[in-house]
Amino acid sequence: MSVRYAILGLLAQKPRHGYELRSAFEAVVGGDANWEVKPAQIYTTLERLEEADLVERTSDLGEGDEPSRRVYAVTGSGHAALKEWFAQGVTPDHQRDEFFVKLMTALVSGEGKLDRIIQTQRAHLFQELHAATTMRDSYDPFSEMAQILLLDKSIMHLEADLRWLDIAEMRLEEVKGQPLPEPEIRRRGRPRKVITDSGDPPRQTAVSRKQ
Amino acid sequence: MSLIQTENLTKIYGSGETAVTALDHVGIQVKEGEFVAVMGPSGCGKSTLLHLLGGLDRPSEGGVSIDGTAIADMKDDDLTKLRRKRIGFVFQFYNLIPVLTAVENAALPVTLDGVKPAEARKRAAEWLERFGLGDRLNSRPDQLSGGQQQRVAVARALVAEPALILADEPTGNLDTRSGDEIASLLRQVTKEYGRTVVMVTHDPRIAAYADRIIFLKDGKVVDETQLERMGAAEKIANKMKEIGD
Repeated sequence: MSVRYAILGLLAQKPRHGYELRSAFEAVVGGDANWEVKPAQIYTTLERLEEADLVERTSDLGEGDEPSRRVYAVTGSGHAALKEWFAQGVTPDHQRDEFFVKLMTALVSGEGKLDRIIQTQRAHLFQELHAATTMRDSYDPFSEMAQILLLDKSIMHLEADLRWLDIAEMRLEEVKGQPLPEPEIRRRGRPRKVITDSGDPPRQTAVSRKQ
Repeated sequence: MSLIQTENLTKIYGSGETAVTALDHVGIQVKEGEFVAVMGPSGCGKSTLLHLLGGLDRPSEGGVSIDGTAIADMKDDDLTKLRRKRIGFVFQFYNLIPVLTAVENAALPVTLDGVKPAEARKRAAEWLERFGLGDRLNSRPDQLSGGQQQRVAVARALVAEPALILADEPTGNLDTRSGDEIASLLRQVTKEYGRTVVMVTHDPRIAAYADRIIFLKDGKVVDETQLERMGAAEKIANKMKEIGD
């Protein structure tokens, strides 16, 4: 999604051909280490944008002996789409996080010590934070603004992750011995008419888990 | 070589049933030139630790050695001398004197110590210039931003040329950007000027400037994290290589 609009924006700046778009995109995000796009992705995106009538091919002519190249430009509806994109907020995705899954797995499996797992992650995040801070302070604000802004963002996120760890640690301490989350088991086929008094499956508690 | 060493450092407030153990047999070492952050939830004993390190309070048990001298054995006069000559303090609320200029505030500790005003002023101005305040020497605190006032406070802490700086939430009253600048300045104080800094903070972003973090909980050291395990410089070099490929 982001690449699509970045391409629209770069074509709004001036008409370009595919290869030029790729290097322009990488310059905008501060290098391919930050965000790499493959040529194939650029060309597929351009095709889709053309189908949607957001960009148009303006010229197939190469200069002199050069082979002809497809040059693209933004259409009126392309400008409108870009405007609409700028007018909208973006919802970040924080839910699918490996450490979150690791923590929950440790909780249900009883393998691994929760407090050690949290402390190991804390140490790891602090090392990342230290490296990001040192790296940011080594960049030049005039020629490397993309790097600085991205590192500011990483630093803030790492800070939030560290605060979240503190909260997680406190919450887990509070609920020691409480029942663990269990999947809801749905029987296949027709439900039986009588089950038990409550109908609940027996619950495993966290009492037995290693802490 | 260790500049600071504590052994079984314990502080209990009150007695009997109402006694509260703020520090519980803490043993830490801080090397010369090291930048150490102390973190932990509020009430974990981090400020108590800082006060004991600075000789502002006496331990209930155990002790602190600075430069190999146990401060528990010192007479009050010697302890005062140690605090004046070997230790500089930085607090959350700068504690500058409103009617004095930046350079007068920074010069104050050595002026009180009997150094001639002109000489004290010269030393203070040198530190202020190093911290980018060369053009604000004659500004009063209310004419300076929070970040600039805290830089004056760091200069004041350094003017007696102490080996150790103790900082208690030095960025607690600052916005993100100024907080980063002060943390970076404290790092510079250790790396460029060879001083040792122990800083208490609850802010992870600020703690990340240190070489090492000591985590306290319920008055005990629960963990320590060395931050430069993979050198930051090495990481940058790798990053550059990636970009070059």
